[in-house]
Amino acid sequence: MSETSIYIHIPFCEQKCNYCVFASFCAKSEEIDKYIDFLCEEIAQKKTNDIVKTIYIGGGTPSILNENQIEKVVNAIYDNFDVYDNAEFTIEANPNSLTENLLKKWKSLRVNRVSIGVQSLNDKSLKKIGRLHNKKEALEKIKLARHYFDNVSADLIVGLEGESGKDLCKYAREILSLGVKHISCYLLEVYEKTKLFQMIESGSYKPLDDDQTIDAFEKLSHYLVDAGMERYEISNFAYEGYESKHNLNYWSRGKYLGFGLGAYSFDGEKRYNNPSNFVDYFDGKIEEENFSQKEIVEEIVMLGLRCKLGVDVEQVKNLGYDIQCNEYYKQYIVDGILLQKEDKIFLNPVFYHISNTIISNLLP
Amino acid sequence: MKDLSLIRNFCIIAHIDHGKSTLADRLIESTGTVSKRDMQDQILDSMELEREKGITIKLAPTRLLYNYEGKEYTLNLIDTPGHVDFTYEVSRSLAACEGALLLVDASQGVEAQTLANTYLALDSNLEIIPVINKIDLPSARIDDAKQEIEDVIGLDTENCPCISAKDGINIEDVLKAIVEKIPAPVGEEKEKLKCLIFDSHYDSYKGAICLVRVFDGQVKAGDKILMMQTGKVFDVTEVGIFVPQTKETSVLSAGDVGYIAASIKTISDVKVGDTITSFENPLKQPLPGYKAVQPVVFCGIFPVDGAKYYELKDSLEKLKLNDASLQFTPENSSALGYGFRCGFLGLLHLEIITERLEREFNLDIITTAPSVSYNIYKTNGTMLEISNPSNLPPAVEIERIEEPIVNVNVFTPPEYVGAIMELCQNKRGIYKDLQYLDKKRVELKYVLPLGEIIYDFFDSLKSRTKGYASFDYEMAGFQTSDLVKVDLMLNGERCDALSLIVHKDNAYNRGRELTEKLKKIIPRQLFEVPIQACIGNKIIARETLSALRKDVLAKCYGGDVTRKRKLLEKQKEGKKRMRKIGSVEIPSEAFMTILKLDEDE
Repeated sequence: MSETSIYIHIPFCEQKCNYCVFASFCAKSEEIDKYIDFLCEEIAQKKTNDIVKTIYIGGGTPSILNENQIEKVVNAIYDNFDVYDNAEFTIEANPNSLTENLLKKWKSLRVNRVSIGVQSLNDKSLKKIGRLHNKKEALEKIKLARHYFDNVSADLIVGLEGESGKDLCKYAREILSLGVKHISCYLLEVYEKTKLFQMIESGSYKPLDDDQTIDAFEKLSHYLVDAGMERYEISNFAYEGYESKHNLNYWSRGKYLGFGLGAYSFDGEKRYNNPSNFVDYFDGKIEEENFSQKEIVEEIVMLGLRCKLGVDVEQVKNLGYDIQCNEYYKQYIVDGILLQKEDKIFLNPVFYHISNTIISNLLP
Repeated sequence: MKDLSLIRNFCIIAHIDHGKSTLADRLIESTGTVSKRDMQDQILDSMELEREKGITIKLAPTRLLYNYEGKEYTLNLIDTPGHVDFTYEVSRSLAACEGALLLVDASQGVEAQTLANTYLALDSNLEIIPVINKIDLPSARIDDAKQEIEDVIGLDTENCPCISAKDGINIEDVLKAIVEKIPAPVGEEKEKLKCLIFDSHYDSYKGAICLVRVFDGQVKAGDKILMMQTGKVFDVTEVGIFVPQTKETSVLSAGDVGYIAASIKTISDVKVGDTITSFENPLKQPLPGYKAVQPVVFCGIFPVDGAKYYELKDSLEKLKLNDASLQFTPENSSALGYGFRCGFLGLLHLEIITERLEREFNLDIITTAPSVSYNIYKTNGTMLEISNPSNLPPAVEIERIEEPIVNVNVFTPPEYVGAIMELCQNKRGIYKDLQYLDKKRVELKYVLPLGEIIYDFFDSLKSRTKGYASFDYEMAGFQTSDLVKVDLMLNGERCDALSLIVHKDNAYNRGRELTEKLKKIIPRQLFEVPIQACIGNKIIARETLSALRKDVLAKCYGGDVTRKRKLLEKQKEGKKRMRKIGSVEIPSEAFMTILKLDEDE
């Protein structure tokens, strides 16, 4: 029997964050209900015989769904798919919309992992980037989530105005002291057309520059590794056994089904994506992407080097690419940029932050 | 027997932008040479590039038939390039005429290049008719322009045509003046054949074509002709005239302007300025004024993709078919691989050729900074000519170095004299003369090293004078100078393609500018890269390019994979435009940066 992962996108938020470019909207409850009805239909329509090994409900802000709404969505999955008993089941939450009732409901729906968008523990900073919570609320909600769930993850952003590596380490210490098992650390990316972009243009917001950002990230990274976590992907740290299985599935090019606005699916051969606007999405339009052999190899190399999975030399050789014959390969081994263990090669995590240059040089 | 009194051979002298090609169009149009239907703007500028740049590079002659007072006159217009790079070609075109129209923009007045070409015309004893153009513009100052022509050149402007070529105003006055003022050619059909080659082009069916003015005698298909400079002999296959396309005729005789085809395989057998005579009954003396054209500006041209070396070679050969003055020899650079060292008549010529390689032949090329040719006198008594700075022998083997110098004339409104003198001094110029031509115009004369001109003299001049100054130069031999080679090192490796020869006093500044510039243009690498400039083993400037810190996309989940893969593919593609010096990757644009060094930053 083959396996798959399921991703469900909830494109709604109480308020859009200033840095956000994702498909997310502020919506009334009736609009959310309409979306959920359609989502459940989509799940039923696209059902397969694959057994589900991970479920991830992301956003937007999934914690914006009330108990009835989330129950409906989750039941649509259980009604249409076989799900392993021990399947990893994550829901993303924002501190301000996370409630005890919701946590209880999730628990009853066999959710077993909660990922909380903390981003920062500096009240001023949170306000500036348009988050609705403060430090106190964030820590309270983590504690609450931990009361119901063992596996809680927190997101942090690196590069925010005035937030040095020292500050980030302080946040990490507080978060880890509450028993959080997984931390995602994202570099602040500023996109045009976001409010943050305008703020930076007008001089009212000053993010860290590239060097400061990387300095801060490296401090934080050292701290987390010293605390016993592993940097198992460019942006992700976890205690042993707490890596996100759902994300590891993406990086090993496993199958996944995506439901909801702008969601992607991959059936092992083709990738499909739902439109990121409601009109086309409700019309049921889907785009399809085929891969050449070269593109498959490119993805295997790219994804493998971004994380601890590495690249299986034999696997890509069988697909016609001898990565060890790449003109950069030898030098990268000599310089310690690439690490080789048995039949696999890995990117030394020290070089994760310049991985684009290195990986692009190693593509077929 | 043809009536020579009904022929006029003339050309147009004008500064770039003063409307020469437009006037030529109007003349062609108003004599009905080309029907309105076939008319396109600037019909004699045959190359796309010429139309775009609004400059004439290649001469294109045409025959106009004009009825005046009941008689039909044949007016042969020989269009001339208006740029300093092509002075010799201009002089040969002028030598093929009896008269010239001096076209002056009513708002701009006389410019340096116009004056230089007018002097050439006067040297050839041409009748010169001033024509004031662009009288339709609100900024036109017709009387001032006339006064300037009288003061500066000493020509009578009392009855000169004042026209608007663009709007077709008073074009008839020009045609009348051509017939009335320009002398008819003199010549004798019965004399020995005497033709001047004033241009050539290549036709894939007929071979190299000679564009000629016949002074004496006759020539027709079947004749055996002798090129007096090269000593080569050819059988004429076809003669004809330009209307403005080629049109075969039975014979070309004294007074005519036309072409001779003689199955000539290579364009280099047709030398502009050479005299064609009869093989059986040759002249004793060729026409005066022949000069072998020598390139004065050189640069390396390399394919961005090393595998395209042979495509580049083919393309250069094709360009050379039509352009005998283009020279190239294979060159090997440790930084850039295999390519060619190319010689040009000047910077514009260089620019035209590189643009044509990119546009007409679709080649991605890297050009190195232009250089001049130096005479290296070695301590062992030998002399070496080098046009590639990286070929300069070690200092201990050099007794002295000579560099080419030029006489420069600058025309400028008086308020910019100070700025221009400062510029010339910065460029190691030697002041010769300053004359007030009138209240609004000063002529400055300097002797400058050609090597300084080809950096960015023209751009600096324009920016310092808001575009009001014009300049012209002519080669003036060589002078011994205290020159040194500045080498560039990236991460300790010398990069031959970035070497340059400069005056010792400027070496420190140039080295510093160059290292600063390279620091800006070379992307950060995985490791720290020292960028050093040195003379021999002595480091004169150093910058440090710090290591790359951030080049990553933080998120790569289900929906990000394709976008991210494409981004990396693109990044890899960009690498093809990079060159490796040791372990440092540098973008091809870097090799051109030495060009733009003298910006006043």
